[in-house]
Formats: sequence, structure tokens, C-alpha cells
Amino acid sequence: MLVMLPEIVVIAAAFAVLLADLLLSERRRVILAPLAMAGLAAAMVVTVVAVPQSGEMLGGRFGMDPVAWWFKVLFLLAALVSVALSMDLLDGRARVRVRGIGHRGEYYTLLLATVVGMMCLISARDIITLYVALELATIPLFVLAAWRRDDALSGEAGLKYVIIGALASAFILYGLGLMYGLTGQTDLAAIARGLKSTSAFWLAAAMVMAGVGFKLTIVPFHMWAADVYQGAPTPVTAYLSVASKGAGLAFIFQLFFRVMGGYLEDWAILVALFAAATMTLGNVVAIVQQNIKRFMAFSAISQAGYLIMGFLGPSAEGVPAMLFYMLVYVVTNLAVFAGIVWYANETGREEIKDYRGLSRTNPLMALAMMVALFSLAGIPPLSGFVGKFFLFSIASRAGFHWLVAVAAVNSTVSLYYYLRIVRQMYIEPTFDGAASLRVTSAFAATTAALAAGVLLLGVVPFFYEVISADTLTWLAALVR
Amino acid sequence: MGPVSWLIAIPMLTALAVAVVPARRWRMIRWVAATGMGLHLLLTAVVTVLYWQAARGDIASMKDALYSKLYLVERVAWFPSLGIQYYVGVDGISVAMVILTSLIIFTGVLASWYVDVRTKEFFVLLMTLVTGVFGVFLSFDLFLFLMFYELAVLPMYLLIGVWGTGPKEYSAMKLTLMLLVGSAFVLVGFLALYHASGLHTFDLMELAHAKFSSEFQRWVFPMIFVGFGVIGALYPLHTWSPDGHSSAPTAVSMLHAGVLMKLGGYGALRIGVYLLPEGAQMWGVLFMVLTTVNIVYGAMGAVMQKDLKYFTAYSSVSHCGFVLFGVAALNLMSFKGAVIQMFSHGIMTGLFFGLVGMIYGRTHTRMIPEMGGLAKVMPWLATAFYIAGLASLGLPGLSGFVAETHVLLGGFFANPWTSTVLAQVLTVIATTSLVITAVYVLRGLAKVFQGPITNEHYAHLGDATLPEKISSGLLVATLVVVGLVPWFFIDLIEGSLMPLVNRLHDTGAL
Repeated sequence: MLVMLPEIVVIAAAFAVLLADLLLSERRRVILAPLAMAGLAAAMVVTVVAVPQSGEMLGGRFGMDPVAWWFKVLFLLAALVSVALSMDLLDGRARVRVRGIGHRGEYYTLLLATVVGMMCLISARDIITLYVALELATIPLFVLAAWRRDDALSGEAGLKYVIIGALASAFILYGLGLMYGLTGQTDLAAIARGLKSTSAFWLAAAMVMAGVGFKLTIVPFHMWAADVYQGAPTPVTAYLSVASKGAGLAFIFQLFFRVMGGYLEDWAILVALFAAATMTLGNVVAIVQQNIKRFMAFSAISQAGYLIMGFLGPSAEGVPAMLFYMLVYVVTNLAVFAGIVWYANETGREEIKDYRGLSRTNPLMALAMMVALFSLAGIPPLSGFVGKFFLFSIASRAGFHWLVAVAAVNSTVSLYYYLRIVRQMYIEPTFDGAASLRVTSAFAATTAALAAGVLLLGVVPFFYEVISADTLTWLAALVR
Repeated sequence: MGPVSWLIAIPMLTALAVAVVPARRWRMIRWVAATGMGLHLLLTAVVTVLYWQAARGDIASMKDALYSKLYLVERVAWFPSLGIQYYVGVDGISVAMVILTSLIIFTGVLASWYVDVRTKEFFVLLMTLVTGVFGVFLSFDLFLFLMFYELAVLPMYLLIGVWGTGPKEYSAMKLTLMLLVGSAFVLVGFLALYHASGLHTFDLMELAHAKFSSEFQRWVFPMIFVGFGVIGALYPLHTWSPDGHSSAPTAVSMLHAGVLMKLGGYGALRIGVYLLPEGAQMWGVLFMVLTTVNIVYGAMGAVMQKDLKYFTAYSSVSHCGFVLFGVAALNLMSFKGAVIQMFSHGIMTGLFFGLVGMIYGRTHTRMIPEMGGLAKVMPWLATAFYIAGLASLGLPGLSGFVAETHVLLGGFFANPWTSTVLAQVLTVIATTSLVITAVYVLRGLAKVFQGPITNEHYAHLGDATLPEKISSGLLVATLVVVGLVPWFFIDLIEGSLMPLVNRLHDTGAL
């Protein structure tokens, strides 16, 4: 029972928010965001303090291990920060009011539902649990993307997301069904034992990987990302960029390591090619973007390319490298989005050229954004550099030196487009009559914490060492 | 925290101190920076003395050594599960480079005495940049090395892009991207070394004990050499340099041409030749040819320039060619020449760019044809410029002569892995650059400083102010001292170069 405690706490929080929304008056509904945050914080405390690092429930369909533990911490963190970023917009405290956005109760409930889905996803030990958790994690996101009822772009984003997302889910389901058909088992470990390298197995694996590639925005399954990221309300985009990637990674972990653990070497060259294509395309197309949310979509696509390099091997060190990079990515991406959400709240602008002179109107926010952007580009001593270095090391160890070169050069190229934003903030002059912009204390606290994280996660060895100590031996147990 | 860590910490602390001062008190900011770097210069002197006391007894025993010896070492485990540690220390080459950097940054701060636009950010970035540089010269863990190396590249973008002149944004972006592509190749090389050694460590001293196969060295050595060569202005990857140096503000040019470009030669020696001697043997010839092109092409490029800063930048490309030529020639004499040239050219080009900045601040033009007769109004600056120019063309009595003699003699003596005839032909071609250098230096200086004053506005210009006198004076003194009394400097570095040469000759024993 303890094993499922975090999920139970979050579900309870979701219902609490829903009921509070039903019963409270409009004025009192300001309490909903803090309520959601309290629920998530409680779940985080429960996870860190009370939950054992291994255990099973529901007849073996729900399990806990160190990797699952870390994923849950990441999902809770991402959700907590996303709620903090959404607060001002939904409560109407933004300087630039957005019409058609509201319904706070449903918003937070849906967000909490996705968190439950993601946490169950990494704990699933059975293909049906896996699939249901995946759907629970993604369907509310389709709705959240279309949250701005009066905005055509938002509706388009939601529609594109649901159509392509449903297609991807269908592929996954078909692949999982084939695996059931081949082995007669629904338990993931049993499937792993029963799998043989037949063409039907490879077909099943390919279908599932295609669906997963959609979630992780791997090329050539990435096309939905740009429109959905641009159209969705900005706090939703922030949450999408970190959470759906995390969920995708969790799903690949389940599939790659738990089910196909014995076949990792056969996949290596394919993973390398996908990684190279993803990072390159993401980088090249990001160069020409004008809208900052679309820009971040392509940045996220290229980051996914770096991330999947951790699957080359098989390498026990790939697991902590990917988890660490995911942690760094969550913190860094949300730091950038904190700046974007804040700027959109204050000025209503989303184009890169609108960030002109930000270093003079609000030097601290500009500094935080610059630090986060440099971390995404992989500049030392920021955590993005350290995370990327560890991932490159995995590729080098597997003998893919060409991929390391491609990745390192891509990292350099990415600096070009991240520098475009820094240039706008620092080198370009301000707009005429630009007033100093104010920051609410919620934003200031969140951004400061995130920026500190970006600076410290890489330099302070504690975070990587703890992840490594917990998860280094995880893979060996699976790939027997 | 030992003295070596303080060498890295002081610039970082100075940056923090500057960050705390309110932005409008720009005069106080420059004093904070100057004090910080003055303290740093004192600490450098102390570390040099400490090093000399510790190492002097060991020089005889280094004659046959196969492994470098480090002094004043500080080690702290950082990421133990990956074999990464905070590992700093010094040997002779490091000390020489630290002295160079310390002098250049101190004089650079003085040369930036009149920067009054966004002074605070300027000095914070400058201090961050120099922290990275010191870190590189003092690190002996490859991860730490790379971290400091890349830390030193990024502030360049902002420094050139915000405070530069001319096509500054284009130059800044080109410089940053090219240097980072170079470091990308270095990264590939480092990771390959880490995994191939089987030792699961990034410790440079331990990696020297690993055996790397010939095939491995064949492709990793050029990758590392070329990666470092980009920042060392190896032909044909030097193209970031003329635009980058000319668009940069004065102190940044001084630091970049004077110090950062030496990171290339330093990395090639310290990591490329030290860890992969067989690779060096295989590829030495090609790099000797490319660096000869560097030397001559850079000199000829300087002859054509009308802009004083581009003139100095091409001269730097040519002189940095001597450094890499010395490394590629693979014998003790040429290695000594390479390190002396790193120091000598660093001081000299720092002096050059500093003076160009001072002249530009007065005449508001950098075009040589527009200037004339300036020696009449600025005798101090003219004298300093002449001394720098004479050092550049290798006049005996100044450090440039010592450096170039060693490099060219070393090239002429050749090495057992290169055809002697080819090496000697290349050396002769490289020597012709001395004549070309004399042409552009003497002609350019004559046009700018001698003859009648061409523009009557110039008649009212002032000579060097006190901060400018101190900075140019200090650099001129260094050039003269190392030129007249070079044996102290040579003794400082010789012991540290022996292991490199011994490893080249004794690859079977490794």
C-alpha cells in the first residue's frame, strides 16, 4: 500500500481541487492553485520519505524500483513548477489579460491527472497497466493544449495533438497487442522472457517505437511539436516540454530496458541514426524560428536527440546519465519558460525580436534566461554541459565516435540560435518608452530557484552521484 | 585551499566583487578590478618562487623521465563514479603561461581604464574569461580542463558583440562558433582517450601510463591537434582571427591574441604530444607544412593591411604559426622555442593591441594611411610601439629573437620521423617570413609615427596617461628582460619539456 502512496496523494489532491472548484465561490477559487501545489508537494515529501525503493502491488502489475522513484520525483517537480507558472495567468493577475482562459479547477485537475498517469506509467509492470497509464498521461494534455477557447491557434494545437497523439497511441496498442499475441503474456517481464527474434517481434517493436518516438519528438515523428507548442497556452507548453518528454523517456525505459533488454545491441545503430537526425534537424530548423514558443519546440526536439544517446550500449552508465540529463532538462527548460511565461504575462508578446533590451528593463529575469539558455547550449560550468558530457561519454564508449562529433558540433550550432535570444536581450536597444517590468513574488521565487538549480546541478556532484548510486545496477538486473 | 586554487579563485572573486558594486560607480569598478589583478600578479610571483624552490632540485633527474612531474598539487574527488576530480597543479610550462596571463590581464585592465559604457558587465565578463584561462593552464583532469576551456570561449561573444567596433556581431559569432567547433573535436578526442585507456579516469597523469594502440593514435592525435589548432590559428582554420581580434575591444584583443591563442599550443603539447607520441610522429610532417603556410601567409597578409588592428591580427596569425611549428617539429629545441614563443608573442601582441587601442582612442581612426608623424606628439607610445615591432621581427636583445631562434633551429635539426630535407626546406621558407615581417613592421610604423604630422588635429593629442604608461611599460620591460636574460626562463621550462621528448623517442618503453 505504501508503494502507491504518491499516486494516491495526487489523486486525492485532484479530487480535492475538483470539489473545491465545485463548492467555492468564484472569489475564493484563488485557493485552487496553492491547493494543487500543496498536493504535489505532499506527494513529493511522501515519495522522498515514506515510499520504499522497491516493492510491488496489484498482483505484480505495479512495481517500484530506484529508476521509477527518480522518475516520480522528476514528474512531481515538473508539475509543481508548472502550476506555479500557470497561477498568475489563470487567476487573471497577468498584466495582459487573455480572453477565454479560466476554469482553473478543471485545469489543475487535468494537470494532476497527467501526473498520476505518468507516475503509473513508470511503475507499470503489465502492458495493460502501461497503456492505460499512457492514456491517462496524454489525454488530459490534448485538452489542456486547447485551453484557450477563443484562440484559433490553441484549438488547432489541441486538434493536431489529439489526432496525431491518438494515431501514435494506436500504433503503440497494436504493437503491444502483437507482443501479447507472440508470447501469450501481459506481464512485461514474462514477455521479455518469452520473446524471440522473429520478424513479428521486430514489427511489434517498430510499431511501439514509432508511437514512442512521437511522444519524445524523435525525427521523423516530431512534426506535431512546433504547432502544438506554439498554439497551446504558454504554461501548458512549459509543462508539455518537460513532462511529455519525461513520460516518453519513461515509456522507452519500460520498453527498451524491461521488455527488449536482451536486444539492446541490435538497436544501437538505429538509435544512433535517429539521435543524429533528431538533433540535427531540431537545430537547423530552430535557427530560422521567429516565435519563441515554436523555437523552444525545435530546441526540445534537438534535446531529445541528445537524450536518446544514453540508450547506446548497452551501458549501465546510460541509465544515470539519462536520468541526470532529464533532471537538468526539467530544471533548465522550466527556467527558460518561466521567463517566457512572465514576459507573455507582462507584455503579451511572443516573438523573439520582442525580447529586445530585456537586460535593461529587467536585468535579473534576463540574466536567469541567459543562464538557462546557455545551459541548454551546453556551456560550462552550467549543468547542461555536464549532462551532455555524460551522454556523449556513453556514445563514445559504445564506439560511436562519429555520433559524438555530430552531437558536439550540433551543440555548437545550437549556441548560434540560443545566442540570438541573448543578443536581443543584451545587445539590441530597448523599445522606445519601454517601462521597467515588474515580477510577482511567485515568479521571482520560482525563477531564482530554477536558475540556482541550473548553476548548481552540474557543479555540485551530489545530484549525479546519488542518481548513479541508486540506478547504476538497475540495468544489470534486467539484462540477465 | 592552496596557492594554485587561489590563482583560479581570485579572478572569480574579483568578478563577484565587481558585480556587487553599483553600476554607476564605474570608476570604483575599475579600481576593484585593478586591485584584484594586482593581487593576482603578486600571487603569481609567489607561486613562481614556490615552484622554483620545489622543482630546481629535480631538473637533473628529469633528463630521462618519461612522465611529467607536478608541483603544488591539489586534488579533490568530484564525480568519483566517473573518475572525475578537481586536480590542479603546476609544472614549468604552466608557470610560464600563468605569468603571461597574469601580466596580460593586469595590463589589460589598465588598458581598459576608460571604458565607461556598462563597465560593470564588461569587467565581470573579463574576469570570468580569465578564470577560465587560468583554469586551463592549471588543470590536470581532462573534464576540468575542458570545462575551463569552454568557459573561456563564451564571454568572448558578449565582450566582442557589445563593446566591440566594426562588424562586431559577425566577428563575435564567427569566432565563437569556430572555436567551439574546435573544442567539439577536442571533446571527441578526450572521450576516446577516456574509454580507450580502460582506466576509467580523466586524470592526465594516469592516462600517460595507458597504452594506446597505433591505430587509435593515428586518428585521435590529429583530431586533438586540429581541435586545439583552431584556437591556435592553424591554417586554414585561422579565419576567425583577423575579424575577431579587430572587432574586439582593446583588453579583449590583448587577452585573446596574447593568451587564448596560446591555449592551442598548450593543449597540443600537454595532451596531444604527451599522451599520443606515436600519433605525433605520424602527423608531424603534415602539421609542419600547414604551420609553415601559417607563418608565411600570415606575414604576407599583414603586408597588405591598411587597418592597424587587422595588421596586428595577421601578424599574430603568423607568430602563432611559429608556436605550432615548434610543436610539430618534435624535438627539445623546437619545443623550447614553442613555449618561449607562446610567452614572448603573448606579451608582444598584448603590447601591440594595447597600444593600438590607445592610439585609436586618440586619433579615432585605425587606418594607417590616415595617420602620420605621431611620434612627435606621443613619444612614449611611439617608443613602445617600436619596441614591440622590433620584438616582432626578432631583433636580438628582445624576447622574439630567443623564441624564433629556438623554433627555427629546432625545425632545421628535424627529427627522426620526418625527412630531414623536407624539414630543412620548410624551416628555410619559414625563415623568409622574418624578412616579410621586417617589411610590414618597419613600413607600417614608419607611416604611422614618422614623417610630418599629416592631420593638424593630431598636433593636440596627448601622450600616454599614467595607467597607460604602467601597462605598456610593464610589457616592454618583460620583453627586454626575457630577451636579455633568457636563461632564467629557459631553465623554468626545460625540465618540464624533457618527458615529452623522451616519450617521443622511447615509444617502445611506454
